[in-house]
Amino acid sequence: MEQIRLPQALRETVSPASLVERLATLTTGYTPDLEREIEEEPSYYDYPVLKESTWHWEIIWYFFFGGLAAGCFVIASIASLFGSREDRAVARTGYYLSLLTLLPCPPLLIKDLGRPERFLHMLRVFKVKSPMSMGTWGLVSFSLFSGLTAVIQAARDGILGRWWGARLLAGLPQRLIALPGVALGIFVGGYTGVLLTATSVPLWSRSKELGAIFVSSAISTSAALISLVLRLTGAPAHSLHKLERLEWTALLVEMTGLVTFLRGSGRAARPLVGTAPAEHGRAFWGFVFGSGLSLPWLLQSFSLLSGRRKNKQNNGRGIVISLLVLVGGYFLRRTMIEAGRTSSRDARTTLWNAKKVN
Amino acid sequence: MAIESSQGSLQSVIGALVGNKTKPIARQAAMGFFTDTSLCIGCKACEVACKQWNQLPASDPIWTGTSYDNTGALSATTWRHVQFIEHIGRREQGSNGLHGGIDAQIAQAKSDGVIPMIAPGTALPFFNTDRWLMHSDVCKHCANAPCQEACPTGAIIRTEFDTVYVQQDICNGCGYCVVACPFGVVARDERSDHTAHKCTLCYDRMKDGIEPACAKACPTDSIQFGEVEKLKAHARERLGILQARGVQEARLYGVDDDILEGGLNASFLLLDEPEVYNLPANPARPSNNVVPASLRTILAAIILGLFGIIFFRED
Repeated sequence: MEQIRLPQALRETVSPASLVERLATLTTGYTPDLEREIEEEPSYYDYPVLKESTWHWEIIWYFFFGGLAAGCFVIASIASLFGSREDRAVARTGYYLSLLTLLPCPPLLIKDLGRPERFLHMLRVFKVKSPMSMGTWGLVSFSLFSGLTAVIQAARDGILGRWWGARLLAGLPQRLIALPGVALGIFVGGYTGVLLTATSVPLWSRSKELGAIFVSSAISTSAALISLVLRLTGAPAHSLHKLERLEWTALLVEMTGLVTFLRGSGRAARPLVGTAPAEHGRAFWGFVFGSGLSLPWLLQSFSLLSGRRKNKQNNGRGIVISLLVLVGGYFLRRTMIEAGRTSSRDARTTLWNAKKVN
Repeated sequence: MAIESSQGSLQSVIGALVGNKTKPIARQAAMGFFTDTSLCIGCKACEVACKQWNQLPASDPIWTGTSYDNTGALSATTWRHVQFIEHIGRREQGSNGLHGGIDAQIAQAKSDGVIPMIAPGTALPFFNTDRWLMHSDVCKHCANAPCQEACPTGAIIRTEFDTVYVQQDICNGCGYCVVACPFGVVARDERSDHTAHKCTLCYDRMKDGIEPACAKACPTDSIQFGEVEKLKAHARERLGILQARGVQEARLYGVDDDILEGGLNASFLLLDEPEVYNLPANPARPSNNVVPASLRTILAAIILGLFGIIFFRED
C-alpha cells in the first residue's frame, strides 16, 4: 500500500526540528556555522575550557519547590494585607502551601552536597559576594517566617486545638510578621537565578535576566498551585479571578524576560534552544515556552475575557492551565540546569564569550 | 595552683565558645608561578612531580588520539597538565621566510625529488614551534579568584603567600567553585572525599621555604617560582628578548592584561593567541554579575508585587 507522502521540502519546513531551529535562530539572532567556526576559532582540540556543574535532579527540584514556597508566601501575604474578607482563603492556602513546599528544600540541598554531613559549614561565614552564602542565610531566615505564619494560620483555623498555646499563637500579629517575610520570600524566589548568573558558564552568565525570570516563574507557578488547590476545594470565584490575573501578568513578565534573556545571550543560549543532540531546544520550546508559558497565557487571556462577560468559572480549563504552568516551571529549571552543562562543554563558545570587552 | 588551673580551663571554655582569637599568620610576599611555554619541552616531569609530592592517584589511562597529551585536562587529581598543540603549517610565511609549512615542504620534496633543506636554527622539524606548542597548565591563583569569592563555607582562602587554597576539612562539596572558575581548574573529587581540589602551590613546601614540586622538577626552567612581582618583571624582560630575536607571536598572559581585574599570580608566556591554549582571553569576573542580576530581579518583583496589590485591592 502506497502511503501518501508530503514532498520532502514541505516536510522539512513543518517538522518540529526545523520549527525549533527557526525559533532558536529568531530569538538568539545567531545561526551556527560550524565549518567557519572550526576554521576561524582556535581551541585546544575542542576540549572543554570549563568544568561541568555538579548539580543534578536535587537542585532542579529545589529550584522548583523553593520558588513555590517563596511565591506562595508572597501571594498569601498580598492577599492578606490588601485583599478582601473573601481573599482570606487565598492567604490561608498560600501560607500552608508555602510551608509544605518549603519542607523538601533543605533535604534536597543537603543531599546534593559532596559531603552532606558538613552542611552546617554553610553557616560558618556570611559572605555578601557569594550568592550561595547569602542564599543559605536567606533560606534559613525565610523558613522561620514561613513556618511561623503557617503555624499562626493553623492556630487561627483551630487545627492546633484550643489550649492556651494555640490561643497565644493565634493572637500573634500575622500581617506584621508577613512584611519582612515577603522581602525574604522575594529573595528566596530570585536569588537562585542570580546564583546561576554569578558563574562562568556562558549560558547562565552572559545575560543577566535569570533572577528576574526565576522570580516571575516563582509567582506564576505559585499562583497556579494556589488556584489549583482552591478550585479543588471550591473557593470563592472572585478570589480565583484575582489570582488568575496575577498569574497572567507573571506569565507575561516571564516570557518577556526569557525573550530578553535569549536575545542577550545570543550564541551562548544555543544549548537551551537548539536542536543538536546535547541541546535542549525541544524540551524548552515544547514544555517551557510552548505548553508552559504561551499556551496557558493564551488560554488564560481567553478565559479572563469570556469570564468577565459570563461571570462564570470554567473549572476544567482552570485546572488544565494550572497544571501546564506548573509543569512548565519545572521544565524551565530542568532545561536551564542541564543546558548549562552542555554550555560548559562547548569550548569555542566559552572562549568567544570571554572575548567581550568587560 | 588550683586557681590557676581553673582559670586555664575557664579560658579554654571561653576560647571554645567565642572562637580562639589566635593572631593571623603574618602576610608574606605574594608568591606564584611564571610558566614560560617557549622553554617547555613537553616532558611532563611537572605532572609526575606534582602527583608524587601531593600523593595524587594516577588517572585512568586513556588514549585521546589527538596528540601526545593523554591527560586531557586539569582535574581534582591532576594539578599540572601539559598540553601538546600540533600546528602543522601554522606559519605558512614563516618568520624566517626560508621554509613554508610542512605541506609546502612535502610538495617541494615531491616535485624536486629531494628533501628540502631545513632552515637554520630549526634543526629538528618535528620539535620546533612550527610543529609543536607545549604548555604546562596550572591553577592561575587569580588575584581576584572567582572560586574563592563564590565559596559559601569559607573553605577557599588566600594564604599568607597570597595563593588560593582549599581547606579540605571545611569544604562540603557544594560545587559552586567548580562553575565559578573561568579556567575549569577546580573540580570535585567524585572518587575519594567528594570535596573540591586544585593546585595548592605546594603550600606545605612553601611553609618550609622550598619551591613547589613542579618548579623543582622542571628541567628547562619553563616553570619558575618566586615572588609575583619579580616573576612579572622577569616575564616582561623575557618577552623583550624573544621579540628582539624575531619571535613576534610571543605574548604574556596574566601579567599586564589585568585579567579578572587584578591579573594572575600564576602567569604565562604564550607563543600564540590564548584561545589556542584553551585560555579565555578576557573572562568576566562572576561576582560582578551579582548586582546587575539582582537589580533586574528586584525590578521584576516590584512590577509583579504592584500588579498583585492592584488586583487584590479592587472590590
